[in-house]
Amino acid sequence: MKLLNKILFGSLSAIFLLSSYNGFSQAPDKGSLSVAINYFNDNNKIPYVLVRVKTKVDGKFKTVPGIPLKLFLNKDSAGLLIGKVVTNESGEATSFIPPSLKKAWGATIKHSFHASFMGNTKYDSTSADLTVGKAKLLIDTVAGRSVVATLYEMKDTSWVPIKGVDVVLAVRRLGGDLNINETATFATDSTGKASGDFKRDTIPGDLKGNITLVAKVVDNDQYGNLSAEKTVHWGSKFVSKANDFNKRTLFATRAKAPVWLLFMALGIIIGVWTVLILLVQNILRIKKLAQEE
Amino acid sequence: MKNSKSIASDEQIIQDLLPRKFKTSGRIWVGILIAICLVGVYAYYRQLRYGLVVTNMRDYVSWGIYISNFVFFVAISLVGSLITAVFRLAGVKWGAPLTRIAEMIAVAAIIFASIIIIVDMGSPERFYNLFIWGRIQSPIIWDVIVITTYFFISILLLYYPLLPDIKILLRFKEKSGPGLHKFYSFLGSFWTGSHKQYLLSKKAIYALCVAIIPVAFTIHTVTSWLFATTYRPGWDSTNFGAYFIAGAFLVGAGSVVVAMYIFRKWYHLEKYITPDHFDKMGRVLVLLCLLYLYFNVNEFLTPFFKMKESEAGYLNDLFSGSFAPVFWFAIFTGIILPIIILLFKQGRKPLPMFIVGIMVVVGAWFKRYLIVTPTLLHPFMPMHDVPEMYHHYFPSWEEWAITLGSLAGAMLIITILCRIFPIVPIQETINEHHETAK
Repeated sequence: MKLLNKILFGSLSAIFLLSSYNGFSQAPDKGSLSVAINYFNDNNKIPYVLVRVKTKVDGKFKTVPGIPLKLFLNKDSAGLLIGKVVTNESGEATSFIPPSLKKAWGATIKHSFHASFMGNTKYDSTSADLTVGKAKLLIDTVAGRSVVATLYEMKDTSWVPIKGVDVVLAVRRLGGDLNINETATFATDSTGKASGDFKRDTIPGDLKGNITLVAKVVDNDQYGNLSAEKTVHWGSKFVSKANDFNKRTLFATRAKAPVWLLFMALGIIIGVWTVLILLVQNILRIKKLAQEE
Repeated sequence: MKNSKSIASDEQIIQDLLPRKFKTSGRIWVGILIAICLVGVYAYYRQLRYGLVVTNMRDYVSWGIYISNFVFFVAISLVGSLITAVFRLAGVKWGAPLTRIAEMIAVAAIIFASIIIIVDMGSPERFYNLFIWGRIQSPIIWDVIVITTYFFISILLLYYPLLPDIKILLRFKEKSGPGLHKFYSFLGSFWTGSHKQYLLSKKAIYALCVAIIPVAFTIHTVTSWLFATTYRPGWDSTNFGAYFIAGAFLVGAGSVVVAMYIFRKWYHLEKYITPDHFDKMGRVLVLLCLLYLYFNVNEFLTPFFKMKESEAGYLNDLFSGSFAPVFWFAIFTGIILPIIILLFKQGRKPLPMFIVGIMVVVGAWFKRYLIVTPTLLHPFMPMHDVPEMYHHYFPSWEEWAITLGSLAGAMLIITILCRIFPIVPIQETINEHHETAK
C-alpha cells in the first residue's frame, strides 16, 4: 500500500511538473491583422490612399502602429508600386499616387488598390484590395445662397453625371464640418447635382467674412471619398474683441505698467529717499558745524 | 560736592556701559557661530556647484525653509521700528535702554533677510535680472525696494543716536585699542556735542522715527502680499497684511526680551536693564500675543467653519494631519502659553520672560514654516504624474545648514555690534540719570 502511495505521489508530481513546463507546448499563435484601404480625392487634385490596420484584442478592435505595408495600383507588380508605408500611432498610413503612375492612372476608368503586409513575429501576413471608379466632384453657389455640388464619373473617355449618390454639403469649421442646414446629406439628381440652401447666416468668418463651403462624398463603395471646397463671403466679419494685451495693466510687461501704479510707486520711493538723502546730508551738516566751531 | 558726585556717577555709568573685549566664553560663542556659518557657506557652495537640486524643493514646494526664514528675518527686523520709533514717538521713556538692542537686531535681521532671498534664487546672478527685467507691478520688486529702504533707515537710526556715545568712546583709546579707535574716529570724531549739533541730530532721529513706521508696515505688508497675491489655499486672504505685522511685532519683541536677558546677564547690566523693564516688556509682549492670537483666529476660524472643498486638504493637514504637531506647537508655544505666563506678575520677571521670549521666537519660526510649506503642498490644481516625493517636503541638510548658518550669521552680527558699540546708549542714560536726579 505504501508502494502504491509512493507511485501515485510520484506520478502526480511528474504530471504537475510537466504541465508547468512549457517546453513541450506550441509557440503562441500569431495575431491576425485587418487592413482597410480608403481612397481620397480632395478638390480633384492628386488622389491618395489611406490604409488603416487593426487587430482584435479581447473582442475589441485596436489600431496597430508600426506595420510596414506595400501599396500597389491595379496589381501586385513592382512597376505599379504606389509606395511603402508604415502605420503611425493611430494605425494609419497614407500615400499619394506618385507621378510615375500617371500613365497607368489615366489608362483605365476604374482602379483597384492593393495593400500587402508580409508578416512579422507578431502578426501573420495579410493583404487588402479596394476598387474605385474615377469620379470628380464640383462645388458652386447660386443666387439666394444655395450650394450646388455636381458629381461626375468617367465613362469611356468623357465625364457623365451620376445620379443617386449622397453628398454632404457643409461649412468648414475648426473642429469639423458643419452642415449648411439641418439636412445631413443631399442625393444627386439625374444631372449629377445635389443642392441645398445655406442657412448658417450668422456663422463667423474671417476678417472679410470669408467662409469655406465643402461638398463631400463620404466612404462611397464605388467612388471612395471625394471632396470639393469653395470660399464665399457669406460669414459675418470677424471683429477682434478688445483685449488688454498691449495695454497698461498689472499683468503687462514692465514697459506697460499702469500709470497710477508708476505714479504711486515712484511718488513713494522719491518721497522716502529724498528724506533719507536729506538725512545723510544732515550728517555732513553736523560735520561742517564741528569744523566751524 | 553735588557736581563732583554727579561726575563720579557719570563716570560709573560710562565704565559700566563701555563695550568690553570678549572673555573666553565670548570667544567660544563667536567661534561656534563662525563654525555654523562656515558649514552654511559650504552648503551654499554645494548649492552653487550642483544647483538647487541639492535642496528638497521640487515642483510642489518651490519655496521651502529659505522663504520661511526670509519671512522670519523680515518679521524680526520690525522690532527696530517698534522699540525705537513707536516708543520714542509715544514718549515711552523706559524703552530708552532697549533701543540700541532693537536696532542691532533689526540691522542684523534685515541683512540676512536680503542674503537668504538671494540664496533662494539658486544662482546669485539672477538677482541682477531683478533690476534689468523686474516689473514695478510685481510684489517681489516692491519687496526689494522696501527692504533696501528699510535697511538704510535702520542703519541711520542705529548711527544717529550713536554719535554722542562715539564721542565718549573716543576718550578711551587704551581700552578700545588703536583699530577700534580709528573706526570710532571715522564714524563720529566730528561730534562735539554742541547745541546746534544736538538739535540737528534730534530732528534727524525724529524724522527717521516718523519715516521708519510706514516703511516697516510696508516691508512686512509687501512680504505678506508675496503670498496673498498668489491664489492658493491659505494664502488667498485679505487678513494677511495685518496678520503678518502683528506676528512680526510679536517675534521682534520676543527677540528683544531674549537679547535683554542675555546682555543683562553677560555684561552685568542689572542696574540699567531692570526687572521693571522686563515687566513692562512683558506687558507689551502679552498685548502683542493677544493681538496675534486675534489675527490667527481670523485667519483660521472662518476657513475652518466653511471648510471649502478646495481648501479642506490644506486645513485638515494643518489642524489634524501631518502638520498638526508643528501647527499646535507653534500656536501653543508661540502664543497661548506666553499669554498665560505673562498675565501673572511672576511670569514677567527676568528669567520667565527670557523663557517666554525663546518660546515666542521658536514658535514664530515654525509659524513661518507653516505659512509657506503646507499651502504649497495643497495647490488648487494638483499636478499629474509627479513623483511621490514631490508630495512631501523635508529640507535637505544643505537647506538646514544654510538656514542655521544665516541664523548664526545674524547672531554674529549682533555679537560684533555689541562688541564695538555700547549695548545701552551711554549718553541717553547719563541724561536720564541727570533728569532723575533733578
